[in-house]
Amino acid sequence: MIREDLKRMTKFGLIALSTVLAATVLVGCGSSDEQASDVTELTIYSGRSEEFIAPFFAQWEEASGIKLNIRYGDSAELATQILEEGSNSPADLFLSQDAGSLGAVAMADLFTALPEDVATTIPAEFIDSNRYWAGVTGRARVFAYNPNLLKVLPISITDLTDATYKGKLGIAPTNASFQAFVTALIENKGSAFAEKWLADLKKNDVRIYPKNGAIVEAIDKGEISIGLVNHYYTWEISEALGRPINAKNGFFAPGDYGNLINVSGAGILTSSKKYKAAQDLINFLTSEPIQNKFVEQTHEYSLIPGAAAPVGLPLLADIGAPAIDLDTLKNIKLTQDLLVKVGLL
Amino acid sequence: MPVVADVISASQTPSSKRGLASPNFALNSAVALVLAFTLLPFIYIALRAFEKPLPEILDLLLRAKTLQVLGTTTALLLIVVAVNIFFGTLMAAGLHFIRLPKAHLFILPTILPLAIPSYVFTYTWLALIPSMSGLFAAAFILILTTMPYMLLAILVSLRRIDSSLIEVARTLGLSRTAIFFKVVLPQIRSSISAGALLSGLYVMSDFGAVSLLNVETLTVSIQNMFKASYDRRAASVISILLILASIIFISFNEKLKDSTAKENISKRLMAKNTRINNSGLKVVLLLSIGIYTLLAVVIPIYVLISRFIGNPNPIDFARLTETAISTISVAALGAFIALLISAPLGLLISTHAGKYSRFAERVILIGHALPGVIIGLALVSLGSKLGPLYQSTLLLAFAYALLFLAKAVASMTSALQLVPSTLKEVAATLGKSKSRVTTSVVFPIALPSIGLGTLLVFLTAMKELPATLMLRPTGMDTLATQIWSYASINRFNDAAPYALLLVLIAAIPTFLLSVPRNPGEKVESYQ
Repeated sequence: MIREDLKRMTKFGLIALSTVLAATVLVGCGSSDEQASDVTELTIYSGRSEEFIAPFFAQWEEASGIKLNIRYGDSAELATQILEEGSNSPADLFLSQDAGSLGAVAMADLFTALPEDVATTIPAEFIDSNRYWAGVTGRARVFAYNPNLLKVLPISITDLTDATYKGKLGIAPTNASFQAFVTALIENKGSAFAEKWLADLKKNDVRIYPKNGAIVEAIDKGEISIGLVNHYYTWEISEALGRPINAKNGFFAPGDYGNLINVSGAGILTSSKKYKAAQDLINFLTSEPIQNKFVEQTHEYSLIPGAAAPVGLPLLADIGAPAIDLDTLKNIKLTQDLLVKVGLL
Repeated sequence: MPVVADVISASQTPSSKRGLASPNFALNSAVALVLAFTLLPFIYIALRAFEKPLPEILDLLLRAKTLQVLGTTTALLLIVVAVNIFFGTLMAAGLHFIRLPKAHLFILPTILPLAIPSYVFTYTWLALIPSMSGLFAAAFILILTTMPYMLLAILVSLRRIDSSLIEVARTLGLSRTAIFFKVVLPQIRSSISAGALLSGLYVMSDFGAVSLLNVETLTVSIQNMFKASYDRRAASVISILLILASIIFISFNEKLKDSTAKENISKRLMAKNTRINNSGLKVVLLLSIGIYTLLAVVIPIYVLISRFIGNPNPIDFARLTETAISTISVAALGAFIALLISAPLGLLISTHAGKYSRFAERVILIGHALPGVIIGLALVSLGSKLGPLYQSTLLLAFAYALLFLAKAVASMTSALQLVPSTLKEVAATLGKSKSRVTTSVVFPIALPSIGLGTLLVFLTAMKELPATLMLRPTGMDTLATQIWSYASINRFNDAAPYALLLVLIAAIPTFLLSVPRNPGEKVESYQ
């Protein structure tokens, strides 16, 4: 009975849909490459949160006259998205929270190499060996602890498997920076060592948290007395709660893998036609005044040799970070398998 | 009217469908087109998964960890669905049969939790009980989150049960309990199954609650594989497992459905004396509504408001407004697209139920179990080849329609099944043209349920996160992405106004959902 109407409705629907599809294909073919000289907009995929990075982007927009279209997201998810987009990615630049996500994009050959005159302030150890990406800020792995609850501080990560820390240590195994640290451990001490250490942690009733922030909050509340986190979370939680918290940062003995320095960093995508502008943005982010601002505002480390450290923390050079190749931090598959094997993931 | 009602209930024979013996070509092709779209995520998963060599796939599927995760998922699913069926049926029956003044005002708070995303639920409960974690905590949160699906489904079908049967049972001297089990339950079985289906599929695809409470379900595994190892192939293999699990769940669920379910609309409304006026039962009902509202509405909103008040930072009202507007517009567009593309399918399922329509229906339901991140990536994979359409509002709205199509199709189907073919025939014999029959008979009856489905899509789209993060236009925020953005840096105070606004906006359509749709019913129940 309603067949006639149906027929008309569906016919209309089909025509409308095919028109849209055809139009899309046509428009898609029609778009031409933009010239590097008259760039007015740049598209950024930012794994760094808006709250912290937006003021820096705004400053560059004003200085360059170029408008930034910024897509905020989780670093790993944005990396996955870039892998999926491949050569069709609308992004010009990818700014990541950690070296691992940069490594994943680099491994897929989706970054274009940075010329020698880009990121000149950053030492070679914080730049990818193929110059696919450059570090922007330094992030130290530390142990955060509650000074009221913990009087004797650990000297090495191996101390954490002692009975003293039974049920008192918090970790976030799904967190990218924790996994980067385990990756460094595997790469340098071997997977047998890493496996035994992780298994011993588990035996020692290690507490699992979804993320670093939750660990620091738990330390502040006294649920646990110590946790493995990045150094800036004590500030982040204190600022979020609007009060001082019962958590301080501590470093292990020099050279211990618990003192790993990871970086946030940026790379330019091969799909970008606006690499000149993108290079300019990287130069801006790695320039001395902006690096100092990162130290003050986001409490991260400047990567420029000799730069001041965040308040109350040792200089980058004095942390006693283990010598590792940041490039190897992308080998997370093995780490994940290991974490799964010992039952932490 | 009683005459028409008698005609309707007297002639529920399948032979009345004779006039529409075979679906026509246009309808079939329209459905095929919709199916092609809904199959996209499956094609994506298959292509990615089989990039891995077969031994590796089997390895991944059969390792102890995978089986353990499968076990966790199953346990969580069974707990949530069982509790939902039990309490949902009792609460809905209570709300329907027990006489309460302004009954719809009591329904409202039990449906309002639809507006609260599971991750907001979890954050607010964690703020109260920080040590909350594990399977039972996750089950608790997911029961709070999904109960409204159960209640809505059952309430809608209770409104149209054949009350003459209840009256007959009463005159035969059956007790209330006996009437409930023998007369009411058989008539609402298929909506209990629909509610169970929606809550079960929600549990399978949920990421927010389970990840925050340290419960590893299949969806968490999938997300972890992206997050920690950028491994789209392994994630796709686990997705296949999720698809298989949802197929099993859907077929079990179909057993719950009454196989003899028939189109049934009774214009005879509940006679006022069939409402129970027992103060003991009233107390029990009010107590259970009260407890559920306390756990699922009052506590989360209380935590949000206290976070909101305790926020030392100024609120950017311009941004808040702009975010709200874009959230509403894109969710509304998504709901509209879902309505459009569910129409041919709903018509096919309701008028020509057969192998093809059942296949289409199942594909859509299975798609509902997939995590947003998979649908998101499938659309990234395809969409990034579409030039300007990629990361456009239109594509995001389309993603919402795909993600929540099951909700629209389910409502559309039941709505169109509601329209008795005899009624159309009566109208036709009275000399009305075919299109007049559609506009003056079919739509007025089906419209409320179609509206319900559209509103459900709208509500769920507003709180969607993973696909939104990937597919929204660069620079556009939704309330959900803003909540995520603040929560990811532990700024829960700053997230609070966005979460509150989300609840507030969602409360309006929720209110519309809870108001009795049938004016006749309203009058009778208030007398």
